[in-house]
Amino acid sequence: MSEQEGNSPPRRNFLSLAVAGSATAFATAMAYPVARFANPETPGARGSGPATVGKLEDFPVGTAKTVLANERPVLVLRAADGQFRAFSAICTHLQCVVGWSAERNQIECPCHGGVYSADGQRVAGPPPRGLTELTVTLNEGSVIVSETA
Amino acid sequence: MSGPGFGGWLADRLGWSGLRAGLEAHRAPRRGFVFYLGGITLFLLLMEVASGILLLLHYRADVTQAHESVSRIVGEIPYGDLIRGVHAWSSDLFVACLLAHMFIVVLRRSFKPPHELTWLSGQAALVISIGLAFTGAILPWSEAAYTHARTGSELARSVPFIGESLFRFMRGGSEVGAATLQHAFGFHVAALPALATLLVAGHLFFLSRRPALDPQPEATASETMPLYPDFIVRQAVAWTGVLVLVMTLAIFVDRPLGPAADARLPSIGARAPWYFAPFHELIKMSPRELLGIDGPRFLVGAACAFGVIVIALPFLDPRGSKLNVYVAWGVLIVLTLLGARAYL
Repeated sequence: MSEQEGNSPPRRNFLSLAVAGSATAFATAMAYPVARFANPETPGARGSGPATVGKLEDFPVGTAKTVLANERPVLVLRAADGQFRAFSAICTHLQCVVGWSAERNQIECPCHGGVYSADGQRVAGPPPRGLTELTVTLNEGSVIVSETA
Repeated sequence: MSGPGFGGWLADRLGWSGLRAGLEAHRAPRRGFVFYLGGITLFLLLMEVASGILLLLHYRADVTQAHESVSRIVGEIPYGDLIRGVHAWSSDLFVACLLAHMFIVVLRRSFKPPHELTWLSGQAALVISIGLAFTGAILPWSEAAYTHARTGSELARSVPFIGESLFRFMRGGSEVGAATLQHAFGFHVAALPALATLLVAGHLFFLSRRPALDPQPEATASETMPLYPDFIVRQAVAWTGVLVLVMTLAIFVDRPLGPAADARLPSIGARAPWYFAPFHELIKMSPRELLGIDGPRFLVGAACAFGVIVIALPFLDPRGSKLNVYVAWGVLIVLTLLGARAYL
């Protein structure tokens, strides 16, 4: 081994660069599989499908009930005329779970005092917009909630 | 140096005389409780690790079992309420001491070069600690824990640039549920403690390479003392006092668990842990829009910008201007007022 070969700076620089480059390339190539493994859910996949949330008799006329559809809380209102309306029960401010107030006939968020009307419109408090309305369909006595297209 | 018997054998094998000489050469300030805060923070971290390992023996990280397992720890398992109390109180005191330690470092402008690495490792440890506090609060899967997970991840969503990824990562998807608890658990008991250990080791190593005080400066010799034995023995006394305090709090002051999480119930009025309370209060007071941006979003962005400035302090202000002291006091007063407002 001549000294020139063993210690030649260009060769050493090249080797350092090659090692650093391979390590960086490997780390970059691993980042995507790791990120996908950590977060396997496809964006938008969950919660878009219709979910059966109960039977017709579970929702008496003139009452409100919060149910879970795809792990998400949904507020189902059944008016005195028997008509259904459903809203995402997630406050648009900081995502607390809202509730129906029968006394005041409105939807309220206990966290920071957000208030929505019975048709989901923002009335008072910090929420930036109204609640997201969902579509309710009935199929052979089952109540099905799905995202409004 | 090495005497007879086991002690002598161990001292010989460890090369104790060399170690001792090194420790004695380091100087520590002679007066002032504030210089013990860093060591006390470390001690509280050790308490967290010890009590956390014990809690792991009975805790179950599953949405159907988590709350029940914690109420079993508190209600049925012998001394379970004590162990959980120690874990909860140590965590509060840990955050308090960590913030106080940082505050003193800013007041004394000890972040100045050549202490950049010590400062940066401390800042990274602070970020990890926030992660530990956030994930730990989710684990009991109580109604409060569930609300905490919802609002915390939603606020994280407003962090500039990485918000959306952070949000999905904290929830383990788009909704708070089983995956959220699983993520919080894994990070609380494995990833974050491992990182914290590395960072604390680095923090101490960087400090030992560039000590806060010059070794034996003639002018200040009377105001300092050797790190060993003088300072370390006093530190041990402080640790004993902290141990007594934590045990007393754990025995006499209850930390209620609250009802189990139920996504169908309206959130119970959110009360943030005390160290998030000032920020929470700010969010509550905020108008819906600030400078045309959604209020909470603006505040989170501002907090992140402030955080980046704090982290970069040794580089932004290498000579340590007096301004830091005024700003630090100002921030402390504002946060205290906001915090007080949250509890009144």
